[in-house]
Amino acid sequence: MGRTRDATGTAAARRGVSRRIVLRSVFTVGVTAGTAAALGPVLAGDPDEPVPASGKARGTEPERFAETYRGREIRGAVTVVVPAGGRGDAVRAAGAADAVPHLDVRVDGRPLHIMRRADGSYVSDVNHYESFPTLLATARAAVDELGSAQLAAAPPRHGT
Amino acid sequence: MYDRKNQRNLTRTEKRRLVGAILELKRSGRYDDFVLLHREFYVSDGEDRPRAAHMTPSFFPWHRQYLLEFEKALRAVDPAVSVPYWDWTSDNTPGASLWAEDLLGGNGRPGDRQVMTGPFAYATGGWTINDGVSEQPFLTRNFGRPSSPVTLPGKDDVARALKDPVYDAEPWNSVSGTGFRNRIEGWGIRGSRGVSNHNQVHRWVGGSMSGAGSPNDPVFWFHHAFIDLLWVRWQKAHPRSGYRPGARTGGSGGDRERVFGLDEPMPPFGVAPSALLDHTRLYRYV
Repeated sequence: MGRTRDATGTAAARRGVSRRIVLRSVFTVGVTAGTAAALGPVLAGDPDEPVPASGKARGTEPERFAETYRGREIRGAVTVVVPAGGRGDAVRAAGAADAVPHLDVRVDGRPLHIMRRADGSYVSDVNHYESFPTLLATARAAVDELGSAQLAAAPPRHGT
Repeated sequence: MYDRKNQRNLTRTEKRRLVGAILELKRSGRYDDFVLLHREFYVSDGEDRPRAAHMTPSFFPWHRQYLLEFEKALRAVDPAVSVPYWDWTSDNTPGASLWAEDLLGGNGRPGDRQVMTGPFAYATGGWTINDGVSEQPFLTRNFGRPSSPVTLPGKDDVARALKDPVYDAEPWNSVSGTGFRNRIEGWGIRGSRGVSNHNQVHRWVGGSMSGAGSPNDPVFWFHHAFIDLLWVRWQKAHPRSGYRPGARTGGSGGDRERVFGLDEPMPPFGVAPSALLDHTRLYRYV
């Protein structure tokens, strides 16, 4: 029952990959701090650029929001991770097939870990046993469940 | 061979020894290892990774082995204890003996939802939450989630699931519309049905139980022992039905590649579902 056990054997591989990618935001905000910033986000999103299907929320454009809900500041954005070396036409040509949407949702600045369900809805670490159609609904439900609590500053070792 | 009892039938002594063994696992650090393991193996079906624990056919056998590991740790502390089950279709109120001072303690208080009663109250000093979703160091509960009310599932909900003669169905994930497994695991399916059974109980208890650190609440084990018992009941009701899926075929793709068939060992245990179909050599439900 070691704490360092790797759930699937892929986490190490993912870490390797992460050093070779850049983040390209599909919005003009979204990447705020930490690892993402160190990797060098490209913040000038092209509104005409096609968005990978996996980055869509039920056929709508990816979400971005910032609001105060029940006195808590909730923010969310989807960023898309693309292979390094692909800032220009090469990546567009290579297509978004390799792109992985990164879901960045925060409650009072603290990251809320979110996963996607097969139907495109979202499950968060706060509400692990139900899903929500949008990131905004996911963030609001997390605030409802948290009550007066703050999220942990850094999620414990969690596979990703 | 040992018995797993309905929690409502535990004697005062059995409750005291069970609570004592759980607190000892917590003190030694073993308990938190179990919490982390559950977090690590929660893989969602929107991810391209192997999925052994949730949104997957091996939901039942994975949690059976997980409970067996926990129970083994408990019984190493006190060989007389086992994991009791909570039949939430019967003991379905905040006043049930389950939530009394001598077993799990009661609901969280308003505001921070801190559990203030029973052996797992923070003030006792024996139950600090180390790997929770929030920074709160105490156990939280939020029965029925008043902000958006949730009820416990009823006998009809369970009966509907038990009636399905098929164990699981394509696409072998959280949107499988038929099959016993997802009817009990209880994922809502848009335009078809809402959250039910297993998932609904996690939501009803709320607080720690609703999130990624759900085993931080000891009721987790009671709940999953009942889920395990429902699998036993389904097997009895459908003796000619079995675990699905079986072996991979050439044409199988998509989610089949990420889930565990009858003879495919599940991480981290290295045990295949086929080795866990018969519990009777290990324990029985009384």
